[in-house]
Amino acid sequence: VSLARLAERLRGGELSPREAVASYLERIERLDGELNSYIAVRADEALAEADALERRSDSRGPLYGVPVAVKDVIDVEGVATTAASRILADNVPATSATVVERLRSAGAIVLGKLNTHEFAYGAMTTSQHFGPAHNPWATDHICGGSSGGSGACAAAELAAGTLGTDTAGSIRIPSSFNGVTGVRPTHGLVSNAGVVPVAWSFDTVGPIARSAEDCALLLEVIAGSDPRDPTTARGTRGPYAAALADGIDGLRVGVVRALFERDIDPPVAEAVKASLDGLRDAGARLTDVEIDLFDRFGTIQQAMQFVEAASVHSGWLRTRLADYGPDVRARLLAGLFLPPTTYTLGQRARRLAYAAFERVFAEVDVLVAPTMPVTAPLIGDDTVEIAGTRVVYRLSLIPFNSPWSLVGAPVVSVPAGFVDGLPVGLALVGPRFGEETVLRAAHAFQRVTDWHGRRPALASGAVT
Amino acid sequence: MTAGGPSIDELRRQAERLGVSPTDADLEQVQGFLAVVLPAFAELEELVAPGDTPAGVFRPEVEP
Repeated sequence: VSLARLAERLRGGELSPREAVASYLERIERLDGELNSYIAVRADEALAEADALERRSDSRGPLYGVPVAVKDVIDVEGVATTAASRILADNVPATSATVVERLRSAGAIVLGKLNTHEFAYGAMTTSQHFGPAHNPWATDHICGGSSGGSGACAAAELAAGTLGTDTAGSIRIPSSFNGVTGVRPTHGLVSNAGVVPVAWSFDTVGPIARSAEDCALLLEVIAGSDPRDPTTARGTRGPYAAALADGIDGLRVGVVRALFERDIDPPVAEAVKASLDGLRDAGARLTDVEIDLFDRFGTIQQAMQFVEAASVHSGWLRTRLADYGPDVRARLLAGLFLPPTTYTLGQRARRLAYAAFERVFAEVDVLVAPTMPVTAPLIGDDTVEIAGTRVVYRLSLIPFNSPWSLVGAPVVSVPAGFVDGLPVGLALVGPRFGEETVLRAAHAFQRVTDWHGRRPALASGAVT
Repeated sequence: MTAGGPSIDELRRQAERLGVSPTDADLEQVQGFLAVVLPAFAELEELVAPGDTPAGVFRPEVEP
């Protein structure tokens, strides 16, 4: 059941909000013991909100009665925002994040809070405080991160749609590993007010759901400037869903060949390369492109991210150091110990990256690349095999994710095949504020492919 | 700091100045991180020219 179809049925009165919420709560009860995608479930509150929604006589919003869930770095009034950490275990916000307010204004009902890597600062979602989230396609594998709970939840249909956050891949990685669709929006398109920060100049909130159409519906609800967040861009954007049907005949797609050829496991590269036929079949014109300085983009992003993250946590590093998990503690401390010129160096090099990125978009409308170089590793394994060599998992993902974060670009990750039973993803990258184009391309791709319609065996059974 | 990055003793002294109290195991992990990132960051120095000013923190100056 796609979010889009569910929303139609709810608005049409074919299904009530209570029935929809009860159906998802039953699935959570039945399946999430094995997945651990939720940190908190608002069962009674969600049912009460569904009943209240049914009693209201005003018009039905685009997400009327649609059950959703949000990553546990996003505030929901009255529910602890733990960020899967011990430090924030009792952090109960008095107000909701702007994105949650917007979801609710559109009629959505929040089922609960989703598991994440501790403080969203890592790509495994194996918090020692809340336990690992498991991949629905193979539960002994990670679901990625940091929005791993959102990816697993969407794949197992434990909510009709979810929100995650992405600083350097945290929406795209779990989207790829769990065989679902995710959107990292342009930096500044969606408010971060009421969201636990990782690194301010890269942080974004975005949807993870089954399809580009589902994500478009969620994105157009949460997007837009916000007086609570001075980093949001002025003006209105979208709509996104209405533009999906326009197709991509003649769309110029640049293939970032370097990412298909270097530092990627060959079976993953082959699967994603084969999926490009879907874009050709939909009418796009594909050409290989090179981006100046691209192999430095990841390093530039890391130079800034390390320092910003250390700044976010500087107080707790002094007072609560032992309460961090070892991996997050080490990365945060590393940022604290960097030379003071590191951050400005990153900002200066970032200007060169912006210019290179803009040059390539004079030639193409969309870029494509593998979302990840590997499939989901086993839980507990912090290395992956790439072309017969073991490499550190955390380092393997940087060239595929950090570059697009550095330039603040929108990226849609779509399911693009399987390797040994585990999903792989294709990343579609647009110019800044080019969400309409990348979502249209993703939707056109999904009209001629069926990867996004596949479901893990664990998640079988009707939703409603 | 040596060519390979700061020693554990140097990191420990820096930690004291910063008011943090990491364990030796923490400092060994930090040392490992710095051994990877410091050379990469040093290469960025060669990328930028003296006249290259910092980009905006959040996004390019001009919004489309």
